[in-house]
Amino acid sequence: MLKYIAKRFGQIFILFYVFLALLFLLLDLQPGDISQQFVGNPNIPPEAKEIMVRQLGLDQPKIVQLGNHLWNYSFGMDMGVSWSSYPREVSDILFSALPRTVFLFLTATVMSFWLGFYTGKLVAWRRGTFIEKSAMVTSIFFWTVFYPWFAILMLWFFASQLGWFPIGKFISVEKWIGAPYAADDVFMLMLGTIALVTLVYGVARYVIDRSSDDPQTRRNFHRLALWSLAGIAGAFWAFSARRTYAGDILWHTFVPVLTLTLVNFAGTTLLTRSSMLETLREDYILTARAKGVPERTIRDRHAARNAMLPVTTSLVLQLAVVIAGGVITEQIFSWPGLGRALLGAITAEDIPVAMGALALIGILSLLAHLVADITYAFLDPRIRVQG
Amino acid sequence: MAQTLHIESRGGRVGTPLLEVQNLVMHYGTKEGEVSAVDNVSFTLNNGEAIGLVGESGCGKTSVALTLLRLLPDNSVIKGGDIKLDGESLIDLDEEQMRRRRWRDISMVFQGAMNSWNPVYRIGDQIREALRLHWPETLTYQEETDRIGALFELVGLNPVTMERYPHEFSGGMRQRAVIAMALSCNPKVIIADEPTTALDVIVQDQILRELKKIQQELGMSIIYISHDIAVIAEVTERMGVMYAGKLVELGSTLEVFHRPRHPYSYLLLSSTPSITGPRRKLAPLEGEPPNLLNPPTGCRFHPRCPFAIDKCSSEEPGLVEVGEGHSVACWNWQEVPEIGGLQK
Repeated sequence: MLKYIAKRFGQIFILFYVFLALLFLLLDLQPGDISQQFVGNPNIPPEAKEIMVRQLGLDQPKIVQLGNHLWNYSFGMDMGVSWSSYPREVSDILFSALPRTVFLFLTATVMSFWLGFYTGKLVAWRRGTFIEKSAMVTSIFFWTVFYPWFAILMLWFFASQLGWFPIGKFISVEKWIGAPYAADDVFMLMLGTIALVTLVYGVARYVIDRSSDDPQTRRNFHRLALWSLAGIAGAFWAFSARRTYAGDILWHTFVPVLTLTLVNFAGTTLLTRSSMLETLREDYILTARAKGVPERTIRDRHAARNAMLPVTTSLVLQLAVVIAGGVITEQIFSWPGLGRALLGAITAEDIPVAMGALALIGILSLLAHLVADITYAFLDPRIRVQG
Repeated sequence: MAQTLHIESRGGRVGTPLLEVQNLVMHYGTKEGEVSAVDNVSFTLNNGEAIGLVGESGCGKTSVALTLLRLLPDNSVIKGGDIKLDGESLIDLDEEQMRRRRWRDISMVFQGAMNSWNPVYRIGDQIREALRLHWPETLTYQEETDRIGALFELVGLNPVTMERYPHEFSGGMRQRAVIAMALSCNPKVIIADEPTTALDVIVQDQILRELKKIQQELGMSIIYISHDIAVIAEVTERMGVMYAGKLVELGSTLEVFHRPRHPYSYLLLSSTPSITGPRRKLAPLEGEPPNLLNPPTGCRFHPRCPFAIDKCSSEEPGLVEVGEGHSVACWNWQEVPEIGGLQK
């Protein structure tokens, strides 16, 4: 298994450099560079323009530029300086936007996967009933809906009509005036809590699985671990002075997360349903029935476990699209993430920021693929042995 | 502990009736109408006996097997008849009671090289699941493992391999493991539905010998279902021939092979070459089984039957005794000639 992961890591590493080089060349092919941007500005003398070109290394051969570019990206995470908000560093802009994007899409993806898988499973099991038909109509609606329109509709309903949630943005600025904490720090602490709880829970599960053979005992201990961890984390935040600020951030995440979840869960539901229907026709389901396995166990342990395999594959492919599609989402919800940074950079012809944002999106997609590959190997023993 | 390692048949005294199928009728409801897949089938399986059901594809063999376990698809209806195991009717049980009987009382050997194993769980764990569901006492993990090990040894597998996944097994190993799983809860009856069909001939032979040995050593009662009469000849004592959902001939395997009384059995046997018997011309069986949506009137075999008389197309023959324990459903059975037969 470790060998498999190492191999995948190696592939991803190479792939990333190919991607980075292509990105550089493609953006280089676009007309205009920074010196030309200032050609029309009569206040800048030609000498100053030339200095600019030399400082940025634009006078060197393309191959040297490419080499420098890759070198700077690899060592010291130097992505250059933003042109539109000079002299802020690109990495500074992007790394404050990155966690917000990751949080938004990871939450929405996990929720939509869980919801979609659960619905798809039930719907396939109760084929031909009213529940199935209504779930199918709902799913197809969300699957085909024009997403930007739907996002605006959600904002209109929840923020404008009901007034329960804010219209976009990451925080309500007026609440944070004079706040003793920076919004990014509070947010990072929230993410840190989630990551820590997940990690400790994972370790706890591993230890529990190693120390007991009885599935019932294991399940009880899993639950105990999860609830106690959630309790500790909840108590930590309940007694923290950052409570109201964290609450403000959460309040802002609700509508975008809900919108993304609704739109993405439909695809998972439809796919799970057809995958499940196919699995239910397999011979081993008949074996399970002949073995006298209760229907519920057949559905959850035998059918759904196998139906999950193709759904996981689609999740990966979907994840890359979701991250890239963040441009639309973040624009509509004024969410200060990677997508918005990219869109802003492109409209302002801020090539370093655009390139950095695209590189990060590339890394995220590749990592998502890696995670999915590992998950898939974990779920399907037939993949595992090929190492 | 010794108790959990003991592999046996939980049936009664050898020779007494164990499973009685009486006038079983089962229909599939389809959009075009009702398909009578099993029509008035009766037979008895005695303790410690191996019987066979043979026939072309689509003549209702598997439907009989699935009816016995009540594993039929939703569109099927058991119209009549009864299935009695140890004198108790299985038709009357509710779904939950029936679920508890499955595998515990009647287990099944499926076509192994096909997908009868769930690909994502270890072989051993899938057998363990059967033990957890049906073993009367709660076993410790070690006891379960010991029993699975003992089962593996019985069917000629290395107990270490129980940790493997199905895809790591060859077709023959998978089939052996299926037999181990079928034996796991000490059942009364095993139904072997095409147990060796998907295997190559050499493995097929090994598996059949293994099954026969186990059946005789444990006094197990087995119903073999196959389209391959050679398989049935090798492992069974009595056999039934099915055609278009009906049992057309029932008798001892030796008798039926030696002196088939039903034209269908005769043609089925004549279309199979015999290695040990005298040289003879093979007679192919023309045509195909009828569409059961709209079966022929009278005897269902009459359109394909070279011995058919006028009566065959209008009146349906019932099973009549023609020899000791040998019955046949045919108006013209006296006309069916003798063939080379089988030397055991």
